[in-house]
Amino acid sequence: MALLKVRFDQKKRVKLAQGLWLMNWLSVLAGIIIFGLGLFLKIELKKRSDMMDNSESHFVPNSLIGMGVLSCVFNSLAGKICYDALDPAKYAKWKPWLKPYLAVCVLFNIVLFLVALCCFLLRGSLESTLAHGLKNGMKFYRDTDTPGRCFMKKTIDMLQIEFKCCGNNGFRDWFEIQWISNRYLDFSSKEVKDRIKSNVDGRYLVDGVPFSCCNPSSPRPCIQYQLTNNSAHYSYDHQTEELNLWVRGCRVALLSYYSNLMNSVGAVTLLVWLFEVTITVGLRYLHTALEGVANPEDPECESEGWLLEKSIPETWKAFLESVKKLGKGNQVEAEGVDAGQAPEAG
Amino acid sequence: MAPVLALALPLQPRIRLAQGLWLLSWLLALVGALTLLCSGHLLVQLWHLGTFLAPSCPVAALPQVALAASAVALGTGLVGSGASRASLDAAHYPPWRGVLGPLLVAGTAGGGGLLVLALGLALALPGTLDTGLEEGLGTALANYKDTEVPGRCQAKRLLDELQLRHHCCGRHGYKDWFGIQWVSSRYLDPNDQDVVDRIQSNVEGLYLIDGVPFSCCNPHSPRPCLQSQLSDPHAHPLFDPRQPNLNLWAQGCHEVLLGHLQGLASTLGNMLAVTFLLQTLVLLGLRYLQTALEGLGGVIDGEGEAQGYLFPAGLKDMLKTAWLQGGVARRPAPEEAPPEDEPPKEGLPEA
Repeated sequence: MALLKVRFDQKKRVKLAQGLWLMNWLSVLAGIIIFGLGLFLKIELKKRSDMMDNSESHFVPNSLIGMGVLSCVFNSLAGKICYDALDPAKYAKWKPWLKPYLAVCVLFNIVLFLVALCCFLLRGSLESTLAHGLKNGMKFYRDTDTPGRCFMKKTIDMLQIEFKCCGNNGFRDWFEIQWISNRYLDFSSKEVKDRIKSNVDGRYLVDGVPFSCCNPSSPRPCIQYQLTNNSAHYSYDHQTEELNLWVRGCRVALLSYYSNLMNSVGAVTLLVWLFEVTITVGLRYLHTALEGVANPEDPECESEGWLLEKSIPETWKAFLESVKKLGKGNQVEAEGVDAGQAPEAG
Repeated sequence: MAPVLALALPLQPRIRLAQGLWLLSWLLALVGALTLLCSGHLLVQLWHLGTFLAPSCPVAALPQVALAASAVALGTGLVGSGASRASLDAAHYPPWRGVLGPLLVAGTAGGGGLLVLALGLALALPGTLDTGLEEGLGTALANYKDTEVPGRCQAKRLLDELQLRHHCCGRHGYKDWFGIQWVSSRYLDPNDQDVVDRIQSNVEGLYLIDGVPFSCCNPHSPRPCLQSQLSDPHAHPLFDPRQPNLNLWAQGCHEVLLGHLQGLASTLGNMLAVTFLLQTLVLLGLRYLQTALEGLGGVIDGEGEAQGYLFPAGLKDMLKTAWLQGGVARRPAPEEAPPEDEPPKEGLPEA
């Protein structure tokens, strides 16, 4: 009992082949789009690799790039096959290759689906990488004289301005690290000496933040220093003040940006996957319909196309049998070789 | 009555003219579309920077006229490609015969006029921009502190975002901020002696400080931003106010915005010039094709020698004909001849 049988006459076969040819070329375009999206994602990750300690995983964009290239190759090949399918002479040379080609297509579709799924699942690993990377980045904020780290201040300032965020989880993260370089501290001042003596590591900690944390929507000029001291500023209450600095942490901001990006890329990849599955199904029908043409001299006759020759459990049984036969075949060959070698040794 | 600028067009050159015209028309359509996008982009940029340009400054006229001119150019390109394609095919040409004449007139008058106007505006833009920006930025700086006044409450946010995005500070430099009060009086402590001293030290009672807002800070500076007490060499260690200032953005917003907008306007002007050139060529080609085919009586494949020309007769002859015709039409009352299509058509292509 064949699975999902459909009758095909000559006209329907021709229409199927033509439709598949068009769909394959559209799919090449879709493959190029996937390639472009993978490239874009890779560039976005590389742009902010400073914030992720250069340890972010490029698995998703690399696999998207690979899938895009493979899709272009497979679909242009399938387009050529569909074009030749209308001419029995040309189709004859493709006939032996079609079954393994369809198997490869099915494999490709499965891998494409997995890659699309990965786009949605990457968020978790990105979160931990970002938390770690931002913490280290903030530690190196003041090292503008150290070669190799001198760009960290500029990178973090531009990040906070662009993404409208402050610190790792919030602006209080800046209170716990020394972000002012020792080079610009006046060590003869009593206030500086007190602050340095007041903690174990001898760091100059302030309850202040860099200027890039300032929120332009605040009605008053930005308050950056002595943030927890209400009496230092006129009409200021740090408990209720919300507009002065950016409230969001940069980890949350970057994570939401990358999540949105990956979700859109994943959605597009799923759509392309559906399109590819449709093409594979159509190609299978075309293959079986052309195989079913009983009389090769009469192209006008009707034929049947199906997905699987037998129902699913029977096909699975037949597949297992063929695998076992393959194993037994090897065993017989091995015994023959041993028998052959034994008399030689003997 | 000798035709003006006549050109003999047998069958083969006619076909080649039509094919070349088809290519040129699609090129014109492409360039017209690009100019459309460019003028749209300029319009959007001017709309974004609207708060910093004086409202009396008619800067938006250029992108609007350029938009109209490029739309006409796009239309001319499409019409040209359709007509030249049809002129190669006998079955499709007849419907074009009637419309081609008026379309050519519209294209020349409308398109040519708009393009010349747009080019003129593009050349006149820098002057108007300069005065507009001067006034607009001055008002924006003065309104910076008025975050409580309705109608001006967005000035602080917009000016901060401008300085952050375009990397500039003040109008011509950071010292502009020393001359205005940018801290709202609402956040000044009336009991603080320093505040009272500063307010009393100048005639207008303004609280002036030698400090700048945070948006002037330059992230490329190796030290945390110094915003206050910028004139005092002893206030911050290792900071000398007389040295070149990496701490803040060095350029004034006036120069930065002027350069940015002028760059956009000059790109638009260049594209308009190219559109003008292409449109002239396409219209000339269409006119020659039309008159050559009219000479054959609308028969495309006619092997006879046809002449293409710009005008059927010289300027004086045409005016005389028009006058006579007008006189014949109104015999009882000899009045001024009603204006015909020819006179306006000759004015612009010769220009």
